[in-house]
Amino acid sequence: MALRRVLWMLALLAAIAALAVSCGDDDDDNGDSGSTAEFTTISDGDLTVCTDAPYEPFEFEGADGEFTGFDMELMRAIATNLNLDLAVTVQPFDGIWLAPEAGTCDLVASAMTITDERSDAALFSDPYFDANQSLLVKAEDAEELSSLGALDGKTIGVQSGTTGESYANENKPDGAQVKSFDGGDALFPALVSGSVDAVLQDFPVNRERASQDDQFVVTAEFETGEQYGVATKKDNTALMDAINSQLAALRDDGTYDTIFDEFFPSENS
Amino acid sequence: MRAWSDLSPRKRSRIIRWCVYAITLAGIVALALLIDWPSIRRVFFDPDIARQQFPEVITQAAKNTLIFTAFGFVIAFGVGLLLAVMRLSDIAVYRGAALVWIEIFRGLPALVTISLIGFGLPIALGQQFPGTYTTGSIAVGVVGSAYIAETVRAGIEAVPRGQMEAARSLGMSYGRAMVTVVIPQALRIVIPPLTNEFVLLLKDTSLLSVLGVTASNKELLKFARDDAVATFNSTPYVVAGLVYLAITVPLTFLARRLESGGANRSSSAGPGRLRVLFRSLDPRGGSSDA
Repeated sequence: MALRRVLWMLALLAAIAALAVSCGDDDDDNGDSGSTAEFTTISDGDLTVCTDAPYEPFEFEGADGEFTGFDMELMRAIATNLNLDLAVTVQPFDGIWLAPEAGTCDLVASAMTITDERSDAALFSDPYFDANQSLLVKAEDAEELSSLGALDGKTIGVQSGTTGESYANENKPDGAQVKSFDGGDALFPALVSGSVDAVLQDFPVNRERASQDDQFVVTAEFETGEQYGVATKKDNTALMDAINSQLAALRDDGTYDTIFDEFFPSENS
Repeated sequence: MRAWSDLSPRKRSRIIRWCVYAITLAGIVALALLIDWPSIRRVFFDPDIARQQFPEVITQAAKNTLIFTAFGFVIAFGVGLLLAVMRLSDIAVYRGAALVWIEIFRGLPALVTISLIGFGLPIALGQQFPGTYTTGSIAVGVVGSAYIAETVRAGIEAVPRGQMEAARSLGMSYGRAMVTVVIPQALRIVIPPLTNEFVLLLKDTSLLSVLGVTASNKELLKFARDDAVATFNSTPYVVAGLVYLAITVPLTFLARRLESGGANRSSSAGPGRLRVLFRSLDPRGGSSDA
């Protein structure tokens, strides 16, 4: 009978669906409890890190195609100590601290300043880097645009969702306009093209650019006391404990200083 | 139980249809069971955050999107029309130039064109375009021009040759016949596809934020993204998506109506596609029976 056939098929489908659902549940249970290690990563054997590259000297693609930079090498050292491989996922910066919540990665390491607002949504590590804000302008404008106050009537380029953007909005002269860009890399062509008159962003990044490219000059540094941290999702304290103890260990055994000197050669000399 | 081959084709097709329904239903049920509804509601449909989007999502974001679209479409249409005529010219240089433009900007991803025009052109010219909306409008306009050129060209080719020949025999020059006789008829033919080009151009404006946005010229997607980041919630994307749909769906609906209006009448009326379209555009005769 046709009807019987159909019923059979329905029953079979229901069974498959039920199986799929229960399998899904099983997987979840395994993932949550974590049988051997005290923390689990989204991909076995990997420490998956979200970052917004290129952002020299913190994260960028090296000549060999591997991601490198201060953040990346620090994370690689931590991953190695935890017997994991470093896997890098590139994400736009705005909202990047929500990536672990979305399951995109275990950890965000992206020259990210620890702020109260971000700490509400993500779990931050101990600070691993001190950074201030700064102003980058074209070399020919260096005399004129030497402070934030001089930017009255000018356009300031910032990256969306950064502390530089907030700083610019809070401290700019009334006549200045703030223009936000999705990627930090777009700020430099925008400055060359005259789309913006100055770039306000993290000092180490502006300084790195100015040192490589003599059409740019850093004319001002703003003391903000900002500190970078890596972040994971709020409830992943097991992972964050491991990261924090590794950060401390790397500082103790000198690895931190070695990596620091590699990417910021001028500062310790 | 009877063998499958003994069943009548009608019965077989009915069984197959029920199986398809059953599989689809099982799929939907499985999905519904697997989905974490509370978190979907929390992440995408937070009523408070949705309310916070108004009125700025309309008064600023949608307004800016429409301004970029309107200026962009004017540019795209003007350049596209010129390119279409050039493509059909007897002069090989015009044809070649138009072909190169069309192939380049149809072949490039819109984001590449926008970045080239937004960053590259001002560097090359040593000069920024004045105005808040200019660069973005030019960028989406250039992208649109390549597609519109091909659409309009097809429209011009669809105008019967006799129209041009008749106009020429009355003593009109080629250019005059083109402008006063052929192009007006061609444009009527391409109104439905042009509506689709308008929608495509509107969607391309969502890429413009790569060129940087000021507080005053944020378009819909950038507006939503900033709010999504500020609230740690995806509801602003849903709101922006609904606003996009509120603009595009009536337009595509209109385009479909214009299209089908034309098709219906061409089968019944006979006197060629043009009269048909004239009539389909006439509010009285056009869609009274649709």
